[in-house]
Amino acid sequence: MSRLIAAAAIRGANGVVAQASQELEAAIAAYGPDKPVAFPNTAYYLPVTLGFMGHRVERLADLRPVIKHAKELLHPVPQQRLWLPYLGETLDSGVATLLAEEAIEGIRFVRGEEPQKIQAGTDVEGADDSGLYTLNGPIDDVQLRSWGIQLVDGRMPGFAAIVGAAKSNEVAVKIVRELQQRGILVFLSGNVNGRSIIDQLLEEGVQLGYDTYTVPFGRDTISAIYALGFAMRSALTFGGMKAGQARDLLLYNKYRVFAFVLALGEVDDLKYATAAGAISYGFPTIADTLIPNILPTGVTQYEHVVSMPFDEIPGANDLERAEKLVQKCIEVRGVKVKISKVPIPVAYGSAFEGERVRREAMRIEFGGRASSCFEYLRMLDPDQVEPGKITVVGPGLDGVADGGALPLGIVVDVAGRKMQKDFEPVLERQIHHFVNGAEGVQHIGQRDITWIRISKTAVAKGFDIRHLGEIVIARMLSEFSAIVDKVQVTLYTGKAEVEKTMALAQAAYRDRNERVAGLTDESVDTYYSCTLCQSFAPNHVCIINPERVGLCGAYNWLDCKASHQINPTGPNQPVPKGMCVDPVRGEWDNVNDFVYRHSNQSVSRFTLYTMMDAPMTSCGCFECIIMLIPEANGVMVLSREDPSMSPAGMTFSTLAGLAGGGLQTPGMMGVGKYYLTSKKFIPADGGHRRIVWMSSVLKDSMREDLQTMFSSIGEPDLMDKIADETVATSVEELLAVLEERGHPALTMDPMF
Amino acid sequence: MGLSGLEIYKQLPKTNCKECGMPTCLAFAMKLAAKQAELSACPYVSDAAKQALDAASAPPIRLVTVGVGDQKLEVGNETVMFRHDKTFYHAPGIFARVKDNQADAAAAAKTIADYKVERVGLQMAAAGVAVENASGDAATFAAAVQDVAQACDGALILLSKDPAAMAAALPAVADRKPLIYAADAENWQAMVELAKKHSCPLAVREAGSLSALASLAEQVTKAGVADIVLDPGARSAAANLAAFTQLRRLALRKNLRLVGYPLIGFPGEAAASAEEETAFAGQQVMKYGGFIVLDHFDPASIYALLTLRLNIYTDPQKPIQVKPEIYAFGEVDQNSPVLVTTNFSITYFSVAGEVEASGVPTYLIVSDAEGLSVLTAWAAGKFDAEKIAKTVKACGIADKVSHRYIVLPGYVSTLSGEVEEELPGWKALVGPREAVDISPYLRRTWPTIVGKR
Amino acid sequence: MPVTVEVPTEKWAGKVIEVKLGATKEEGGSRAGTVTVGGETTLPFLTFEGGIPNQPVVAAEVWDVEPADWSPVLLEAWGNAVKDPVVWAQQAAALGAKLIALKLRSTDPDGQNASPAEAAATVKRVLAAVDLPLLVYGPGQAEKDNDVLVAVAEASAGERLALGLCEQSNYRTIVAACLGNGHVAIGRAPIDVNMQKQLNILMSDMGLPLDRILMDPTTGGLGYGIEYTYSVMERLRFGALQGDRMTQLPLINTVGEEAWRQKEAKAAEGVPEAWGDLAKRGLSWEMLTATSMLEAGSDIVVLRHPNSIGIINGVIAKLMGR
Repeated sequence: MSRLIAAAAIRGANGVVAQASQELEAAIAAYGPDKPVAFPNTAYYLPVTLGFMGHRVERLADLRPVIKHAKELLHPVPQQRLWLPYLGETLDSGVATLLAEEAIEGIRFVRGEEPQKIQAGTDVEGADDSGLYTLNGPIDDVQLRSWGIQLVDGRMPGFAAIVGAAKSNEVAVKIVRELQQRGILVFLSGNVNGRSIIDQLLEEGVQLGYDTYTVPFGRDTISAIYALGFAMRSALTFGGMKAGQARDLLLYNKYRVFAFVLALGEVDDLKYATAAGAISYGFPTIADTLIPNILPTGVTQYEHVVSMPFDEIPGANDLERAEKLVQKCIEVRGVKVKISKVPIPVAYGSAFEGERVRREAMRIEFGGRASSCFEYLRMLDPDQVEPGKITVVGPGLDGVADGGALPLGIVVDVAGRKMQKDFEPVLERQIHHFVNGAEGVQHIGQRDITWIRISKTAVAKGFDIRHLGEIVIARMLSEFSAIVDKVQVTLYTGKAEVEKTMALAQAAYRDRNERVAGLTDESVDTYYSCTLCQSFAPNHVCIINPERVGLCGAYNWLDCKASHQINPTGPNQPVPKGMCVDPVRGEWDNVNDFVYRHSNQSVSRFTLYTMMDAPMTSCGCFECIIMLIPEANGVMVLSREDPSMSPAGMTFSTLAGLAGGGLQTPGMMGVGKYYLTSKKFIPADGGHRRIVWMSSVLKDSMREDLQTMFSSIGEPDLMDKIADETVATSVEELLAVLEERGHPALTMDPMF
Repeated sequence: MGLSGLEIYKQLPKTNCKECGMPTCLAFAMKLAAKQAELSACPYVSDAAKQALDAASAPPIRLVTVGVGDQKLEVGNETVMFRHDKTFYHAPGIFARVKDNQADAAAAAKTIADYKVERVGLQMAAAGVAVENASGDAATFAAAVQDVAQACDGALILLSKDPAAMAAALPAVADRKPLIYAADAENWQAMVELAKKHSCPLAVREAGSLSALASLAEQVTKAGVADIVLDPGARSAAANLAAFTQLRRLALRKNLRLVGYPLIGFPGEAAASAEEETAFAGQQVMKYGGFIVLDHFDPASIYALLTLRLNIYTDPQKPIQVKPEIYAFGEVDQNSPVLVTTNFSITYFSVAGEVEASGVPTYLIVSDAEGLSVLTAWAAGKFDAEKIAKTVKACGIADKVSHRYIVLPGYVSTLSGEVEEELPGWKALVGPREAVDISPYLRRTWPTIVGKR
Repeated sequence: MPVTVEVPTEKWAGKVIEVKLGATKEEGGSRAGTVTVGGETTLPFLTFEGGIPNQPVVAAEVWDVEPADWSPVLLEAWGNAVKDPVVWAQQAAALGAKLIALKLRSTDPDGQNASPAEAAATVKRVLAAVDLPLLVYGPGQAEKDNDVLVAVAEASAGERLALGLCEQSNYRTIVAACLGNGHVAIGRAPIDVNMQKQLNILMSDMGLPLDRILMDPTTGGLGYGIEYTYSVMERLRFGALQGDRMTQLPLINTVGEEAWRQKEAKAAEGVPEAWGDLAKRGLSWEMLTATSMLEAGSDIVVLRHPNSIGIINGVIAKLMGR
C-alpha cells in the first residue's frame, strides 16, 4: 500500500465525514430529527449503510449512528517517516467515506437537491426549456433487477464507474463507446475543476440514461456512491445475503460483480478515499493520471490501483489511447468479453465444418503439395499481446491466379492469467475446428502439415486472409475464456517470412514433443480422471497419467489438465496421487479412493502398472485390447480395426463384450494404442517383452515408434518376433511361431 | 464378489479342449466370471476344482421352472439388486386368477391364454392362469383345474391350502408342471408329498416373519423339494415391498440359500381398484416379483404392464435398437424434409418425439449404428458418410421425395462433405445438435432452405 | 430347528435435501400452505430402514392455452376446464393435486407468441385462484423461456415458485431470476448422472442454494426409454444416500407429458386389438410411468389425466404404508 495513497484517502475520509456530520446537524436543525430520509423507488433504504451496518435509515436522526460509526473508522494521517502497511487504515477510511457520502446524498434528497439538475443548454436532448438537464440519481429497484439479472447471468459483463473528466470530449465519447460496445454498464459522476464527463458527453450529443446503459449520477464525486449502492443492492437481491452481513456482501461483489472505477483526470483526496471504499468491494481503480500503483493482489482479484497516464499510453492518437485505457480496465478487473458473432463476410457455424472445397471451386490454397503452411500458437506475456490485433505480412490474394497457392504461417499469440505453456498444443489443435466453421473454407491437418483452401464464393463475398485471424480470435475468446484473456494473430504469406517463422514453430513442436516425452508419472503429483463414458458404463473411471493416454486414445494427461481448467466442473478432474501403496504395481491411496467414490463404490482398488491385479476398468471405447495368453506366458494386443480371429479364440467384438461396460477384468485391459509406446507399458508384468502377438495394423501404423521403444529396452528384434494375425490365429499356431522366432516371453518368469 | 477369470482359470484343466464351446480355457474362465457360462459345461473339471468354484458360481437365487415346452416359465437366477448393476435376467410371469366356482372359468382362462401382443418385434403374453379353490371343495377344484388346463396352454398355478383339493386337482395336470400354492405351517408336510409325487414346484407361504418363512422353507427343502417359490405373506403394498426387498438382499448379499428362491405376489389383494392393482403389479415387476397373480385381466392395462416388464428387464449395457428404415411422420409428400439419425432407441425416441411435436410431415431415416447414439456412433466409426449413404440409397427415399436434401444431426456436421461425395446429387444439410431444436428447425429453417432452391 | 434371519437393513450416511415450494403470507407469498419434498434417508418407500419425512407428491399439469394436440382421452376427461387455466387449476386442486405445474404454452414463439407480461399476468391469475404452490414452465425455447420466466419471477416475487427448465445450455438467466426473487429452479439434464451433477454444480455456483433446486432427469415414457430414466434415477438416489452432495436434490418427473404423447395413449384406431380400450390404455400408460418413476425415487410426478391424480395419490399413500 502506497503511503501517499493511504495518506490521501485518510485525509479525504476525515474531510467528508466531517462534512457529513456538519450537514446532518444542520439538516436536523432545519427539518427536525423525524424528517423522512429516503432514496426514491427502492426498498433498500440507504443501501450501502444497510449492507455494511444492517441499519435502516428512515429519518434524519437515523443518520446519527451512521456518522458515529464512520467517525470510529477514521484514523490519523500517517506521518512522513512511518513506513508501515496502511491497508487496514485505508480500507477503514474507504468505508467511512462511503457511509458519509451516502448520508450526504440522503440529506440532499431532504433538501430537494437530488436528483441533480445541471445547466446543459437548451439544445441538449432531454434538457428542459431553460436548458436544465436532470441527472439520474440512484437507480430504481425495477432497473436494478433487470440489470442485476443480466449481470448475474453473464449477459452484461460488468459495470464501470467513471469519475472525473476525460482529456477531451472526443476521448470521453470514445471511452464510453468502447465500454458500451462490450455491453458494460457505465455510471458517470465527478468532475475535474468543475468539468464533468457528463458535460463532455452531453455536449457531444451522447444519449444518457437507462436505455443506453450510461447513467449520469452527478457532477460531484459524492454521487459516485450510487454506483456502490447499486452493487450493494445487487448482492442483497441476488446473493441471498442479509443486511449487515458486510463481509459476505463484499465478497459477493468481489467474486461475482465485475466492476471497476475509472478515474479520469486529477485524483484528489476525496477520490482517493472513495476509491479506497471501492477497493473494499474488490473493485479496482484505474487512473489516467500518474499516481502510485498498488499492484499486489489481495483485496481485489488483481491489482488494486493502476496508473496509466493518458499521454504516455502508446498509440497514434488520443482515440487509440482511449481504446487502450479501456482495454486495461477490462484486464485489470478480469472482465471477460466474448465475441458472440465471428466477424467475417461469410456464414459461420458448425454446419460448415464438414464442407469440402474442391479444386475447381477453389480460389486459393495454402499448404498441401502446393506450398508450405503451418500454424503455431504460443503463450506470451500479457503486455506482448495486443488484443484483437491481426497483421498480415506479405502478399495478398490479388496476385495469385484462381486455383493458385501461397505459403502461409499462422502465428497465434495468446495471453491469459490462467494460461499455461502446456495448454499451447491443446489450443492450437482447436484452430482446425475454428477455421473449418467458415463457409467456403476447408482446413486439414495441423502444425506444419496444415492445408487450407478458400473457395471462390467465399472470396467473392469478401473473405480475405486476415479473416482467418478474425475467426481464431473470436472463437478462442468465446470457447476458452477461462484461460485466454487476449489473442493476436499474425499471418505470414511471404515465402522467406514463412520459412523463417516456420523454423521457430518447428523448434517449438520439437520442444513440445520432448516435453511430452519427458513427462513421466514420477514428475507429477496429480493424475486426471475422465468420466465421460459413465453415460453408458456407469462404473467406469479412466485415470489418465502422463505415461498412459486414455483408453479411447483421445485424451492425454495434458489434454485433461487443460480441459479441467476450461471446464472445472466437467468430466476431467484432478486426482492427487496421495500415498504410494505399491510402487511396482502403481497403486496410490488417493487414486483408489477417487476411483471408489466415482465408480459408484464398485471398484475399490486400482493399479496403473499391471493388468493382472485390479487393472483399469474398460468402458467400451478402447482402441486396443490387451489380453493374457497364459500358454505363451505373454499378452496379445488386438486392435479395434482388426476384424480377424485372435489367438485367444475370440475376435475383438467378443472380447470387448467381456471386458467392456466398466468391469475390472484381471488379465484383460482396454488401452489407447499409444500406450504401446509408453515406458510404462504394463511394467509390473514385464513390459514390452510380454507382447507375443499384435494386430498387424498396429505394427504397420506405429512401426517407427514401436521400433524405437523396443530398441530402447534392448530388444531391437522384438518386432519381428511378435506374431500377428497373418501367422497365428490360435494358441497352437502362436506357440509354434514364438518357439521358432525365439520370443523372449517364453523364457521369462511365469506371468501369474 | 465372485472370483476373477484368472482365479477361475487356475482351477481349470488348461487343456484348451474346446469341448465347453469356448476356444480356450481362459476364455471359458472369463465367461464363467461374467456369469455368462456354467461350470458344468467343462467335462474335465476336477472335483476339487468343482468344490472350490461351485460356491462362487452357483446362482444365489434358484432358477425355478413352471410349465413345460414352449410355455414354460423360468424365474430366478438373479444376481443384482439394481438393474444398473448388471441386468435382471428372468422376467416375472404375469398370471391372471380365475376361481373354481366361477361359471366362465374356462372361457376366462382361454382369453388369458390367447392374449398376445407384439412390441418392437417381440411377442409378449401373460404366463398363464392361476386357478383358485374358492369353493373350498376338492371336486369342484379338480374339475375347474382340468377345464382351465384344457382351455389354456400356458403355465398354471394351483391355489389352495387344502392338500385334499390339491391332491384331487394335480393328477390331471401334473405333466404341465404347475406351481403348487401353497405350503404353509399347517399343511406343509402334505403339500411336500404332493410336490414330490408329481415333481412340481412348490410355493411356501408364511406371513409371520422372515425367520418363520426361512424355517419353513428349510423344512420343505429338507423334506426333499428343491424347486421352491416364496410368499412372505405380506399383502399391503408397503409391507410387500419391504419383504421382497429383504428377501432379495438375504439371498444376494448374505448368500442365504434358504431364501434363495423366486417370489410370488398378489398385487390385487392390496388394491382398492383395478387401476391400483396395475400400479402395484408394476411395482412388483420392478422390485423383485417372480410370479405376479392379477385379479383383473384387461388388455389395456396388461399391455402397459408387459411393456414395463420388457423395459425393466432390458439389459442396460446392451442398447435397444430400432429397425433401420424410413419412418414417416404425418402426411408426408414429395417435399417433406428428410432427416437421418442412428438406431439407438433413445436417440430415435427423442428425435421422433420432437419431429412429431413439430407437426411438420417428415421422413426420418434410421441408419444402423449398432444401437449407439449419434456422437458415440460417430466416434466409433459406426455412423460415417459411407454408412449414411448406404442407408439412404437402400431405403428408397429418392423415390419418395423430389428434392435432394438430407439433414444430418448437428453433431456430425463434419460428415457433410463426405456424405455429399458418397451421395452424388444430394446436398447434406446440417441440422440441430439437440433433438429439442428440431421443431424450430423444421418449422423455420427448413422452409427457408426449400425456398432457396 | 427354527432359523433366525436377521432382517438386513442399510443405514445411509446421506440424505436428500429438503426443498420447500410455495410461500405463505407470513413468508412473503400468498399460499395457504407450502409443500416440502425430499428429506429421504432411505431408498424409495423402504421406510423400515430410514425416513421419508415428506412423501412424494402429485402435480397436475395445466396449460395456459387449450392444448390442441393432446390425446382425445385427456381433452374429454377435462372437458371445458382446458379452456381456462384458472378453472383447470381449481379442478386439479379439487381432485387432490398438491402442486400445479403451469405451462405457459401461449408464449411459444411458433404459436400464439404471447408476451412475457401476459404470461406473468396469467401466473398471477392462477395464484389468485388456487392456494397451492406452483411450478411454472416457459415455452421450452431458450430465449423466450428466459424472457418469460424473468417476467414471471418478478411479478410473483416471494411466492417461491419452481421455475423451469434450466438446461446446461441455458440456465443462467433463470437461476438469476430465482436468485433475485426467491424462487426455486428446476434443472433438466438428458438422462445422465454426470451431466445432472454438473448442471447442479453450475446452478449452485451461481449462488443458488441447493435447497432451491429440483432435478428433472428427463423422463422417458413407458415403452420409450423409461428404463434409462429409471436407472439414472436409481443411481442418482443411490449417490445421494451415499453422501454425494450434488445428487442429493429432490427429483421431478414430467410423467404425463411423456406418457400421453405416445401413440399408445393417443391412437384409438388402426392399432391391434390386444392394445385394449384407448381411454383405459392411456390411463394405464400414465399410471405405470408414474409408478416407475416413484419407485426410482421421484419426489414430484407431474400428471395429466384427472383420474391419475387420485389413483397415484392412493398408490403413494399405500406404498408409504398409510
